Amino acid sequence: MNYWNRRIASAILVLALVLVLNFLLFRLMPGDPVASIIDPRFSPEAKEQLRRMYGLDQSLPVQFLMYVKSTLSFDFGISFLTGRPVMDELRSRVPNTVFLLGTSLLLSSFLGTWLGMKAALRRGSILEKCVLWIGALSFSFPSFFVQLVLLMFFASMLPVFPLRGTLSVPPPSGGAALLFDYLRHMALPVLSLVLLGFGGWAIYVRNLMVKILGEDFILLARARGLPKKNILRRHAFRTMLPPLLTIFLLALPGIVSGAVITETVFSLHGVGRFLLEAVTGHDYPAAGAAFFLLALLTVACNLLSDLLYGVTDPRVRLERGNR
Amino acid sequence: MIEIYTPQGYRKDEKEMKRALFLALIAVVFWMLPGGAEAAPGKFDPESYSAPKIEDLYLVIIRDPDAQILALQRGQVHILGDLHRPVDVDALALDPKVNLSLASGFHGFFLGFNVRTFPWNRVELRQAAWQSLPRERIVRDLFAGYAEPLSTFLPPVSPYYQPDVTAYPFNPDAARKRLADAGWTWSEDNVLVSPEGERIPPQRLLSPTASVAPTTAELAARAADALTAIGIPVSSEPMDFATMISRLNERNFQMYVLAWQMTRDPDSLYAFYSSKMDIPGGYNIPGISDPELDVVLDRLRFAPDAMSALAAASEAQKKLAELAPVAPIYSRYSISAVSREWKGTLVTDRVTADNTWSLLAMEPAIGPMRPLYLVQGEEPRALNPFTSSSAYDWQVLGLIYDSLIAVHPYTLETIPWLAKSWSIETRHDDSGPHTILTFHLREGARWQDGKPLTADDAAFTYEYLRKNGVPRYFDNVDNIDRIETPNDLTLVVTMKNVSFWHLHRVGGIPILPRHIVEKVDDWRSWLPASVKHPENSSMTQLVGTGPFIFREYRAGEYVHLKGNKDFWLGRRR
Repeated sequence: MNYWNRRIASAILVLALVLVLNFLLFRLMPGDPVASIIDPRFSPEAKEQLRRMYGLDQSLPVQFLMYVKSTLSFDFGISFLTGRPVMDELRSRVPNTVFLLGTSLLLSSFLGTWLGMKAALRRGSILEKCVLWIGALSFSFPSFFVQLVLLMFFASMLPVFPLRGTLSVPPPSGGAALLFDYLRHMALPVLSLVLLGFGGWAIYVRNLMVKILGEDFILLARARGLPKKNILRRHAFRTMLPPLLTIFLLALPGIVSGAVITETVFSLHGVGRFLLEAVTGHDYPAAGAAFFLLALLTVACNLLSDLLYGVTDPRVRLERGNR
Repeated sequence: MIEIYTPQGYRKDEKEMKRALFLALIAVVFWMLPGGAEAAPGKFDPESYSAPKIEDLYLVIIRDPDAQILALQRGQVHILGDLHRPVDVDALALDPKVNLSLASGFHGFFLGFNVRTFPWNRVELRQAAWQSLPRERIVRDLFAGYAEPLSTFLPPVSPYYQPDVTAYPFNPDAARKRLADAGWTWSEDNVLVSPEGERIPPQRLLSPTASVAPTTAELAARAADALTAIGIPVSSEPMDFATMISRLNERNFQMYVLAWQMTRDPDSLYAFYSSKMDIPGGYNIPGISDPELDVVLDRLRFAPDAMSALAAASEAQKKLAELAPVAPIYSRYSISAVSREWKGTLVTDRVTADNTWSLLAMEPAIGPMRPLYLVQGEEPRALNPFTSSSAYDWQVLGLIYDSLIAVHPYTLETIPWLAKSWSIETRHDDSGPHTILTFHLREGARWQDGKPLTADDAAFTYEYLRKNGVPRYFDNVDNIDRIETPNDLTLVVTMKNVSFWHLHRVGGIPILPRHIVEKVDDWRSWLPASVKHPENSSMTQLVGTGPFIFREYRAGEYVHLKGNKDFWLGRRR
């Protein structure tokens, strides 16, 4: 069996394991959706009726078969909590979440990488100190604090940005106006996540770059009299790329899982809050579907990262070829 | 003299400030609202209302409480209900652009005991525990006075509230004396020992975690301290809420703290304290079982008329105060805020400004009509009248669908709504006595798509709910024996047994349009807000008889409703 066949087989195995664990874990958690109803207007008989409606009166093997069938056909059923098809719920939430977290991931990784490299190249300078300090501050603040401060300043005191949501109420008519309205609404949430996220990238890249610049092959390149730009781009940056790509790709599934606090503070219709409520509310179909899709995305990103490793580092291709 | 406790110590000057603020708030409620509290209780007449003056109503989804306050202060929304953080109430009380309204609510918070086992199977211990709880101080410290100490099993706002019951005011010395009189002693390490010589083992008080419910967790810690001080070794055990409920359902606990949202009907006492409800899925969590109490609660549940219900409710509360299966602690006020840019709100001591009567009468204080924006704290869900159970769904659905009866905002008595009158009688046949409810519907009431409302719609709704065993309405329709419609405006519902509460259970069900619902394939997955009306392309299947017509739900953003200018209560004035 060659390398890629082995990788795909192990990915399928991981997904099968996730499928089983998804089913078992939620049912092993204390409580069930019906037991959590604390309402004196619901008699024990009414609760039993509800259990029947959810299919929870069936035996566990029957429930498991139904679950596997629905998951593999991507028909995840009706959410216990919202009463709407789980796919509809995810479909309506994923675009906002992907835009919010995808944009902020891109911006914070680019900004962080650029600042980190600048700091590594100017060791001991004020710039390096600033990057280290601001970087540490950036991921030290709790997100809700930064976001509420931004809301207070830029949505209340200086009402440049809206307080909530992704659209004005009522929304403007016309495609361009609608797009501009959407971008204006998403600006503060994205800005807050970039502020909170770029510091980690900057410090990581700076440390990585400092280590690479001290390696023998960089010294050799300098001794050969290669131009500084060439050393930086063709040797140092290229060496740094594989671990950076890995981190970036592993962060990708996170852009779908959502950001609960950000979604709450800015009243965004996203996946994070839905997922949290699904887990705490024992919403088996919703939680099962969301975790399965996340696992699928994580496995896909892992495969992609393996593939890109080969592209960015020829040694990896060579070693695999020699096996 | 009562003093305010602060982390820095006792400061009497704060007492004056808080009291002044509180009195100012009350004054705002009753006297300063433009258009608020216009009618005295005796003068309130539902028939004086008509179709809503508001043309466009937007329920804007804002989840974060700080963002809600900012939006109200910036005039981006006009009504904000369910204020529960004292800091927000204080801030808004000082805002000249906002009116606050405050009302007693049906919320009740209780400390519960597992009375099935030692030591809580001893009534004198439960009474002493109740007596050792500093309820007034808890309310002052944790809620800055925006709640009231509770010493009964129904909140004071309930029409069935009985204040004349055995009281257990905070007095730790009296609690110790009560125990000493009953033969309890204290060990050297101040732990109570029963008259039989059994030492109280360490007790765990279950509560939600501070991250989920900070005030509840703090309250549990304070209760534990208070009980430990009289010799009951209690420590609070914060845990995931679902796990806690699971433990309570399995009866695997010693003590717990839990809040309930009760209704105007006191028959919830039956659900909470009848021994018949100490079964899987039943709400008799403490496990109280007292034959005399059971008899009284049966009389309450099956009371044939209002007077018998009142008598049974009073007796049940007195009996419960003696048995002390739980210790009531506090009841939270309902508080809402309305922008002064609007007038016409109705506020009573039992209803805050964010109610349907207000939405019928509100209009801008100055200037032309414009959209009204109301904060919706969470996403509505399926907007399916069969399955929706969240308050956020019903904030929308309640403005679209009507039921046969309504609630008087001053007295909480039942008043006519879609039914202009009704009669209740008890008839006997071979199977025993039955309550017969006869509703006389209004003439001229129409569905929002123009079709006339008839008794057949109501009969169809009840039959549909019964036939399909819809869980949300299971208890409302389970006791219906048969339904008849002698004519288009008369509905006769024969119940299987006798109970005064049948009127509220049956009459309170929202009436659904037969011409829409009978074509629905599966009521469980029905999404009426997303499906086009079969005949009117500008409408969805979310069609009621209510004062507002559904226009659009944009997930995560808002729900848009239009005022129903042809509302059956009278055309827009």
